[in-house]
Amino acid sequence: MNENEAPSPQPSPAGGRGSDFRPRVLVTKIGLDGHDRGSRIVAAACRDAGMEVIYTPPWQSIPAVVKLTMEEDVDVVGISSLATDHLIVPKLMTALREAGLGNVRVVVGGIVPDNEEKLLIEAGVREVFHPGSTMDDITTRIRDYARESRRAAADAEVKT
Amino acid sequence: MNKPIDPTILTGATSPARERWERDYGADIGTDRAVENVSGIPIQPLYTADDRAASGNDDALGYPGQPDYTRGIYATMHRGRTWTQRQLVGLGTPADYNQRLLGLLDRGATAVSLIPCNSVYRGYDMDSVEPELLGTCGVVVNNADHMDRCLEGVDVGEISCAMNDPSPFTLLAFMLVAAERRGIDWKRISGTSNQSDYLSHYVANHMFYRLSLPGARRVLMDHIAWCRQHAPRWNPMSVVGQHTQQAGATPAEAMAFTLSAAVQNAEDCIARGMNPDEFLPRFTFFFDISLSFFEEIAKFRAGRRIWARLAKERLGAKSEKAGRFKFHAQTSGVDLTRQQPLNNIARVTAQAMAGIFGGLQSLHTDAYDEAYATPSEAGARIAVATQNILREEAHLTDVIDPLGGSFYVESLTDQMEDKIVTIMRTIDEAGGMYKAVESGLVQRMIGASAMRFQRKVEAGEQVVVGVNKYQAADDFANRPPVERPDAAAMRRHLDAFRDAKAARSSSAVAQALDGLTRAAETARGNVFGAVVDGARAGLTNEEICTRLRRDLGFGQPLVII
Amino acid sequence: MAVSASIDALATRALAGDRRALGRLLTLVDDGGAGSADVVRQMAARAGRAWVVGITGVPGSGKSTLVDALLGAWLADGRTVAVIAIDPSSPVSGGAVLGDRIRMGANAAHPNVFIRSFSARGELGGLSRATLAAVDCFDACGFERVIVETVGTGQSETAIVALADTRVVVCPPGLGDDVQAIKAGTLEIADILAVSKGDLPLAAQTAAEMREMLTLRRKNAASAWQPRVLAVSALARSGIDELLAALDAHREAMGVGRRRVASAPATSHDAAAREIASLDAQGWRDRIAGLAARDGLCQALGISVRDGGPGRAAVAMTVGARHLNFNGGCHGGAIFALADSAFGLASNSHGPLASGIAAHITYQVVVRVGDTLIARAVEVQRSKRIGVYRIDVVRPEAVGEETAVSSFTGTVSIRA
Repeated sequence: MNENEAPSPQPSPAGGRGSDFRPRVLVTKIGLDGHDRGSRIVAAACRDAGMEVIYTPPWQSIPAVVKLTMEEDVDVVGISSLATDHLIVPKLMTALREAGLGNVRVVVGGIVPDNEEKLLIEAGVREVFHPGSTMDDITTRIRDYARESRRAAADAEVKT
Repeated sequence: MNKPIDPTILTGATSPARERWERDYGADIGTDRAVENVSGIPIQPLYTADDRAASGNDDALGYPGQPDYTRGIYATMHRGRTWTQRQLVGLGTPADYNQRLLGLLDRGATAVSLIPCNSVYRGYDMDSVEPELLGTCGVVVNNADHMDRCLEGVDVGEISCAMNDPSPFTLLAFMLVAAERRGIDWKRISGTSNQSDYLSHYVANHMFYRLSLPGARRVLMDHIAWCRQHAPRWNPMSVVGQHTQQAGATPAEAMAFTLSAAVQNAEDCIARGMNPDEFLPRFTFFFDISLSFFEEIAKFRAGRRIWARLAKERLGAKSEKAGRFKFHAQTSGVDLTRQQPLNNIARVTAQAMAGIFGGLQSLHTDAYDEAYATPSEAGARIAVATQNILREEAHLTDVIDPLGGSFYVESLTDQMEDKIVTIMRTIDEAGGMYKAVESGLVQRMIGASAMRFQRKVEAGEQVVVGVNKYQAADDFANRPPVERPDAAAMRRHLDAFRDAKAARSSSAVAQALDGLTRAAETARGNVFGAVVDGARAGLTNEEICTRLRRDLGFGQPLVII
Repeated sequence: MAVSASIDALATRALAGDRRALGRLLTLVDDGGAGSADVVRQMAARAGRAWVVGITGVPGSGKSTLVDALLGAWLADGRTVAVIAIDPSSPVSGGAVLGDRIRMGANAAHPNVFIRSFSARGELGGLSRATLAAVDCFDACGFERVIVETVGTGQSETAIVALADTRVVVCPPGLGDDVQAIKAGTLEIADILAVSKGDLPLAAQTAAEMREMLTLRRKNAASAWQPRVLAVSALARSGIDELLAALDAHREAMGVGRRRVASAPATSHDAAAREIASLDAQGWRDRIAGLAARDGLCQALGISVRDGGPGRAAVAMTVGARHLNFNGGCHGGAIFALADSAFGLASNSHGPLASGIAAHITYQVVVRVGDTLIARAVEVQRSKRIGVYRIDVVRPEAVGEETAVSSFTGTVSIRA
């Protein structure tokens, strides 16, 4: 198996549907802001890039995001933040780890001041997308992170 | 000495000069490009009198201050009274806000506008929210005392105030109570319930209070009726085009959606027994100004013309005042970039000019650092100076509607009018703006326009300086850190708030809450009146909102991808 | 093998109540990798207690609001509920926006609820199998009720809902063409028909019309269950109690575990029937493709098999020069041949020879060179001697959209 590939499932007698790699991505907003022009465009772009996107309206609580991520086996969580909602992303990272979802990759898109971007990366956010990022960039990176996430999940399972 | 002009420029008839221009143009231009503005109207390289005639608009261009108001709603416009410099301000604690506000007023701002923290919009108090999020994009004001502190040293009986506050208008309630305590008669208070339009909030998913759609509709009607009676100089209705345009609607769509929402709200008022000649003069509008310079000017001129006609023909108003399209405008934030942010000063200047030429009544200019932070002191100062420079140094107030008569602007105004009216027809066919928004039709249209624009930018067809062209090495790491509210001050604010809540009489609180329920339960009750009573009794923003959500319904956001 | 051992470990943990493990397990089972077939069998063996309720309705029918109301009521009763929400995928990119779960608002946060979204991925047979496996997993892991919710646009959704014990079809009030289409497609399977937005006066009218249609269509007066029609308003909170009562009544009358009985082989000892009964999704596809490979006209016109199952077939054709008429548009005969191929494959899928005795087609839009057409056949009715099939010919457009090209109905005579 190639280092860079997610384990590709063999077609099985059960007739599984897994012959294509379809990243499962959550696009959501936590905190107080409601502007979602950007997150809707990103969700549509991910769908058009062949991903399965779970899209929520704004104002999700952190526990709700964790529950959703667990039930839907999300590979990448995309947080859209216009104002300052990114400030509670570190709390989300902690909550995900505590729920056994440490393999899940988290990315943030929107308006993040440069000094605060560092804080997010240190808290474990995989990447911050700023205005001016193209949809191609974003979907390509998300696909890469989804592979990472699946590999990490598989590794963790083999160990147990 | 005046040179004679070729008469065919005026009549548009083909002449040797015209033919020569066409030949020379064709020969010199090389590969020409088809140009379309954001609303989809094709733009020619040259306009002549012919073009206005071709749009079939036979109406003579009137005078400012007379229907259909294309050239302006007042006879004097900015020459008589300059536009109001109404900077939206909001940050931190009431003390922080007050300090920023007084500074701006000192330096030329002529009116107050208050933006509350997002937590307030959502119907929360500061003790229900993660502390990191408090006061970062607006001031944390949860009761009448806080509002009093925000407006310390500001004579609300004299100066016009805008409260950015949709249903159930707790901020205005707090302000009225604060004024009452100062002995100011409500009949003197002027200003606007800015962004009181629940439909645009719902469409752009800013449904901050998340009152159900019918609930928000009810409270708005109560608010309009109450203000008419108790605060007649106050504008309770601010129909918003800014939200939809920032969400991706084209300028024509934004104007169409706004006018349709205004019609919907007006029809609701009429159904409630109100007289259009009485309530329409207190309808104001709030728009976005993008960088599509001439398109914005044409959009506003067309909007004025359409509204004058609608007020009379569709809404049955008899007085001329009812058809006056009064609007506040804000320079577009989505046009600003994080890359090379000082460029944003040039952007805001162009946007502001378009709004001024478009005949606005009130203007907010963004700070250059708006693209990545809540504005700094310096940024806010430059934003106000921009307006002062345009007025005092560029003399933009000397002439009313200076672009009137321009072949391009008049032709484009006509074309924008056609486009806007066509979109309004689509809304009408869907049963009116309320139904169109409830079903998601408007959201779908906006989403499609937003996607189209995104594709243009990514394809490089729409250049964004510093982003997809003319890039420079930005030193992001060395930007000054963004100002955040002082955590200690916020904690003190929170502690004082908790103490104040505890010190109230619990029976007075219960009584005031029941007052809200009683008003909500009966069709004849005035919910906003009960909100004002509640504010006087010391109810907080969250208490009021929670009770009203219980009684009038909790709204669910509608998501359309 | 390491991978297989880990899916086993996940299964063990999921059965012990580990929700994270269950979430992972559902993905691995859906993907069908090594070891998943065993796990699926393991889960199926432990399943049988859950009550599976299938709910379908066109977009805008108010289905999600209804599901939310049901959830609320069952959670208040202390039940554990799993919800499988299925959304269509883009035929172009294969991706999907899975939006159903968000309509379940506050209820989604309840610890006794587990909501999982699937995209259809354009594969009817595969999706049925994936849903079946997921239902068995939830059942085995102790969820008392499983709601399978699909956006009903036709035959693919009815196939999924068919695996439910109790089937609810939600339709919006209104007597327009879209409601007529619902009636045509889904009345066959509804145990309960819920007319939504019951607070509107039109709802009562629609409900009355539906009852009338059901009376006319009553297939089997001796059946233990006669379909019921209700008007429900989640907004006004009316009709929900009646819906809950109707659901309970159906469960009382018909029991649970229907999907397991339905997939058991027919009582006939016929080897072919047994063989057919043991086919999985890929097997069915191969079988149908095998039939098409022997068809001279399919070969000549470039008609290929996309999917197939018992009584179902989907075939595709890309319009080329050889398909054109003298006007430059696609020859009606080519479209007829495409639809007829699906017709023949679907009607012959069970084994016994089925010969077409009548067919009718309508042509709705102009078709041009380069267009890809897909014909999907479903079995409307089949007795020992006669079968009736409906074939829809569509042209996929952009994301999630198809243009209806032709409607074809055909009748076959079946040789005993």
